[in-house]
Amino acid sequence: MADTPRVVFAGLASCFGCQINITNIEEHLMDVLGQVDLKYWQLTSSDPMPTDFDVAVIEGAVTTEAAKESVQALREGADAVITIGACAATSGIPGMSTEDHAADMDAVYGDKVPYVVADGAITPMAVKDVISVDFEVPCCPIDPYDFVEVLQHALYGSNIYRRSSTLCGECKNNERGCFYGRNTLCLGLVTRSGCGARCPNLGRPCNGCAGLSPDANVAQARRVADRAGVGAAALDSALRIFNQPIADEEVS
Amino acid sequence: MLYRVMDASELPKLIDAFMERYEVIAPVQSGRSVAFEPISSFDEIVLDYPTTLTSLKKYILPPRETLFEFSVDDADVTDYTLEIAPRVLFGAHACDINALNNLDLVFEDARYPDPYFEAHRAATMVVGINCSPSETCFCHLLDADEVRSGYDLFLQDLGDRYLISIGSVEAANILEAACELREATDEDRREFRRLTRERQEAFSADIPDIQEIPMLMDAFHKDEFWAELGGRCLSCTACSAVCPTCYCFDIADTLDEDGKTGRRERILDACTSPQFAQVAGGHNFRETGRDRVRHRMYHKLNGFNSKHGRYLCVGCGRCVRACKADISPIEVLRFFERKGTEDA
Repeated sequence: MADTPRVVFAGLASCFGCQINITNIEEHLMDVLGQVDLKYWQLTSSDPMPTDFDVAVIEGAVTTEAAKESVQALREGADAVITIGACAATSGIPGMSTEDHAADMDAVYGDKVPYVVADGAITPMAVKDVISVDFEVPCCPIDPYDFVEVLQHALYGSNIYRRSSTLCGECKNNERGCFYGRNTLCLGLVTRSGCGARCPNLGRPCNGCAGLSPDANVAQARRVADRAGVGAAALDSALRIFNQPIADEEVS
Repeated sequence: MLYRVMDASELPKLIDAFMERYEVIAPVQSGRSVAFEPISSFDEIVLDYPTTLTSLKKYILPPRETLFEFSVDDADVTDYTLEIAPRVLFGAHACDINALNNLDLVFEDARYPDPYFEAHRAATMVVGINCSPSETCFCHLLDADEVRSGYDLFLQDLGDRYLISIGSVEAANILEAACELREATDEDRREFRRLTRERQEAFSADIPDIQEIPMLMDAFHKDEFWAELGGRCLSCTACSAVCPTCYCFDIADTLDEDGKTGRRERILDACTSPQFAQVAGGHNFRETGRDRVRHRMYHKLNGFNSKHGRYLCVGCGRCVRACKADISPIEVLRFFERKGTEDA
């Protein structure tokens, strides 16, 4: 890397809320920017993306051929690629149409597909399904402090490991009780921990924005949902919000 | 042990006396359950409460605790002292005091002193209170329904009065100064014995009383039961979060936002977390739910016994309610009961 690591931010199909959220830590923003040479931020600039950089930060899902090419170019130029948010990690909200993308296109546009869509729209993909990703900041939107931690991890290294345990343990530490005794679906059973169970702590069930844990026991979670009266089908349906990849054998 | 009797109406005076000099932490209503929280008045306390959602562990071994701070530029540790305000944990049940005693066995090992644990423990008085078992309580099966040490005071409710066991001079002085006390009479002792028997008979008969649990754990270490039990595990670690005796931790260095200073933190971990037994190079010694759940149960019902002569599990039943997959020591006891029936 160059003396001061050169960072670029790119936004793909998303609400740009994760990038916005980084700007919400005003009191620390200069401290964070002081550690990098911010070469490009799509949210704040209309200039073309520079070609020389060290760290690429990507928000959003890959939904077009052009986006695919641009993340490939980012990967080639960067020593480290960081994705931010659920759209980049799992294809998120744009990914809700991955199941039958062509049928969805047909239902929405019929024979009047606009030029910008017709020209290169592809089934939405997570960034990691296009290129290798070094670091991931989860959730919708990201916690900006998580972003700072991950950026520092990329810059300096870190001994913090990201567990694949699911959310309920963190939730218990908040002493808020469990939604499953209240006939309410909560995806904490299968969602990767790390956020501190902040939605349940605010009285809202988890909707899985941190992503399905690679060690999630979906089959058992479906049994829990059935027994609690909320139903396995409701659990499956809720998992689609963030396009969680559920293997068939897990669901059976 | 010294015993005194005090009218129930004196209790607010004791709490007021504690509050003059200590932070008082007691069971209070929290949503639909009861939690240990700092109080500002006697009226907030729920004296006759079912087991709390999480345990007193949070006041001795917090989920996240700074061990020291450091400066990156100097590559040096900044002076850091953990300061805990003197406090009273009021209203602890016997199982929870036994749990704190078990943590002492681990963290007050003279060979490996833990100044953070000691700072919490030294600043903390413990006042226990008797309880009646709820349906998930099985402390009596693991010798944890009575407590013989580890408290400053222990209150036994005798209806209109309390029989108080006095465990420390510090607490005795406060008690004697604040409350009117008298010697225990034969009548008090009879009532105490009657209530003790009543409690012993109130435990759920659905939880099997198994003898020689550690030996059975060894005998059935390779049984298929563990794959079935562990196969249900959601890897959520709720069990160890609510457990009063799960103490395993990870250590991580967290940088401040400017990248110039940071903190080394102890973060409570769980052996049911998939990466808990993963080592450098990537090998995971307990890769499956079967291995992880079995390991946890062995530590609770077998391994700790070998080293310390008592169960690590105190039968508080918190994990029984926290686990959405019905994994708990009770299921292990039921398994042994089935095995016994099959053999007979």
